[in-house]
Amino acid sequence: MLYFASASSYTSKSSENLPAPLPLSKLFETLEERYDGIKAKVLESCLVTVNLEYVDVPEGAASGTVINEGDEVAIIPPVSSG
Amino acid sequence: MAKEIEEESCYVALTENNLDAQSTMDRVRSPKAGNFLNVYDAYVLMSSLGTTRDNFDGKPVKELQYTAYEPRALQSMLAICKYVKDKHSLTAISMVHRLGVVPIGEESILIAVSSPHRQAAWKAGEEALEECKEKVEVWKREEFGGDEEGVWRANRDGAAGVRIQRDEIEEEPARGPQGPILRRPRVGERGHGPVVHPKE
Repeated sequence: MLYFASASSYTSKSSENLPAPLPLSKLFETLEERYDGIKAKVLESCLVTVNLEYVDVPEGAASGTVINEGDEVAIIPPVSSG
Repeated sequence: MAKEIEEESCYVALTENNLDAQSTMDRVRSPKAGNFLNVYDAYVLMSSLGTTRDNFDGKPVKELQYTAYEPRALQSMLAICKYVKDKHSLTAISMVHRLGVVPIGEESILIAVSSPHRQAAWKAGEEALEECKEKVEVWKREEFGGDEEGVWRANRDGAAGVRIQRDEIEEEPARGPQGPILRRPRVGERGHGPVVHPKE
C-alpha cells in the first residue's frame, strides 16, 4: 500500500504491507479497521491504483478484482500539482 | 529510477532542482534531439508558480512542499503531452514539474511547446497546463514553519487546504466565497471532479 498527501497524514505512513490476497471491494473496509474514520475523511474523495492503473473500487459484494501478493496499491487523493 | 521519459517528441520529467527555462525550451527546438523534427515557427513557454494564498487562517505560509507518485505522475504527464501534441499538431512538447521544497513564488511547472503555428502553440500550452493541474499525481503541502503541521491542498475546488488528522472533530463545511461549500459529489463522479475541455 502506498499513501500520499492526506492519506499519508492520516495513516502517518507513506507505505505498508497488507495481507494478500484481498478483494478490492474489501480494501476500504480493511483500511477503516486499521485507521478509524479514514473512509469518510479521506478515502471517499480518493481514487485507487493497482500496479499504476486506476481501478474502480466496487462496493458491497466481495466479487470482482482481487489484490494479489506483490501488487502495488496506491491511494490517490485529489491532486494539487502546480 | 529515472525521473524522466522521452517518447515521440514528448519529454516529461520530475526534478528536485530549480526549474531551468532554457533547457526546457531547448527540448522542443533543438535538432540535436534527433527524433524531434525541426519544424516549428513558434514556441511557447508556460510556467506555473507555486501558488498559494500566502496564508491559511491568517498564518503566513513559509514554503510549499511537493510530493509525487513518481512513476504514475510521469505516465500521466506523458499521456497529457501526447494528447495535446496530437490535438494541436505540435512539433514537440516538454513538461517538467518540480518536487520537494519550493519557496513561495518560484516556478513549480514549466511547459514548452513548439509548433508551426503560433496560435496552436498558445492553446496547446494552456491546455497542457490545465490538464497537468487537473490530473498529474503531485500533491502540494503548505508549510508554516515551526512545529505546526502543514496543510495539503487540492486543485479541484480551489478551496483552502484541509488539515486532515486523526481524532479531529471537523463537521463544519469549508467556507467558500459564497458561504459554506455544501456541494455533494455528483453521481458517477470519482474523486477528481469532472474533466472539462473548453470548446474553442
